[in-house]
Amino acid sequence: MPTTSIESELFVSTDWVNEHRNDDNVRIVESDEDLLLYQQGHIREAVKIDWQTDLQDQTVRDYLSKDRFAELCASKGISDDTTVVFYGDKNNWWACYAFWAFKLYGHDHCLIMDGGRRRWELDGREFVREPEPNYPRGTYAAKDPDLSIRAFRDEVLQHQAAGKSMIDVRSPGEYTGALLHMEDYPQEGALRAGHIPGAASVPWSRAVDDDGTFKSEAELEQIYINEAGLKRDGDTIIAYCRIGERSSHTWFVLKYLLGFDNVKNYDGSWTEWGNLVGVPIEKNV
Amino acid sequence: MIAQTSNRKNKLEKLKQEFDELDVRDRLETLLEFSDGLPDLPESYRARRDAGENRVHECQTPVYMWVEVVDGQVEIYADVPRDAPTVRGFISLLVAALSGAAPADVLAVKPTLLTDLGLVEALGMVRMLGLHAILHRIKMEVQRAVAEAR
Repeated sequence: MPTTSIESELFVSTDWVNEHRNDDNVRIVESDEDLLLYQQGHIREAVKIDWQTDLQDQTVRDYLSKDRFAELCASKGISDDTTVVFYGDKNNWWACYAFWAFKLYGHDHCLIMDGGRRRWELDGREFVREPEPNYPRGTYAAKDPDLSIRAFRDEVLQHQAAGKSMIDVRSPGEYTGALLHMEDYPQEGALRAGHIPGAASVPWSRAVDDDGTFKSEAELEQIYINEAGLKRDGDTIIAYCRIGERSSHTWFVLKYLLGFDNVKNYDGSWTEWGNLVGVPIEKNV
Repeated sequence: MIAQTSNRKNKLEKLKQEFDELDVRDRLETLLEFSDGLPDLPESYRARRDAGENRVHECQTPVYMWVEVVDGQVEIYADVPRDAPTVRGFISLLVAALSGAAPADVLAVKPTLLTDLGLVEALGMVRMLGLHAILHRIKMEVQRAVAEAR
């Protein structure tokens, strides 16, 4: 059983989830890239919250309004004081994205299940193919969006012009401008390739081990502080990727596992920046 | 041939109608059933798959697909991992609807198919690119096979 040396209340092991999944004040939430995975098999007590069809507005490129977020939570049996544990496929990208969106609306108690679906499966634990459980409605009052964790286009422009810290967490090919998306993904979505000048390149995947669990604090410090030169108590750091999902994973690592004060996720990411007219782009193919 | 053509058209149209009558949850359930029902890759293609041939690079998941035109009929064989049920389900749906069809009918499938099946609403906009690419790939392969036969 892999454990990590990081002492954190922000992520828990599959063991913990197994023990607490029936607790009244705990709600397990699955969030995946593949929308049908949950239906194919999920942790028995888990509800499904999709990063896209549930958390995003389907007309405007943005998140749900505060009221709709509150309704979503209530309908899943989540109240303001519920501890919500996220897990999912792809090393928890979408789980981290959902975690970030919950933090955006000020949800207090959020946890990540370390290793996600993969770790649960490797542990030989049960996935059930059953309808989503119906819990009694929660009582939810969403807070105004916490914009200290979300960066918008104009702010990124100013941030870049001022030479402040940024971290590009996409794959090396996307960073250099050789690719518009990860290898084997459709190469669409942006008209220009490259990265925002001044952004350090640290692919998100460096933060996890082969089984999808987070690396130790010492290893993470080596990568983000010693190698990438990020400062824990310095200026705000902006993380971005292509649509903000991989960077929410890195956002989680920096903010919660390494304790950085100010980290923002730029969810517009490359699909916004790479389509903007006249913004600076650097390429080194 | 004409009868077969209209039958085949009916098959996709029938699917569209069926999906239209379902709510989002049941559309997803149906897609999952298609995923369950994707026929195994025929034995004769497995060595080629293992050699990495015919990988669909537009897809993030390792998808292998063969589109052939034999005796005027389109045949589609595919191998898609079970942990990618959305892609697997959509390919299975296309296999069910288009296998045995005349090339002209496959080429005539509208690019709005995903919208017409109500899958954009069910899956969200961002998931559409890869699925569009699969349909596009099938049509390109059919076009190539038809051109080669001439």
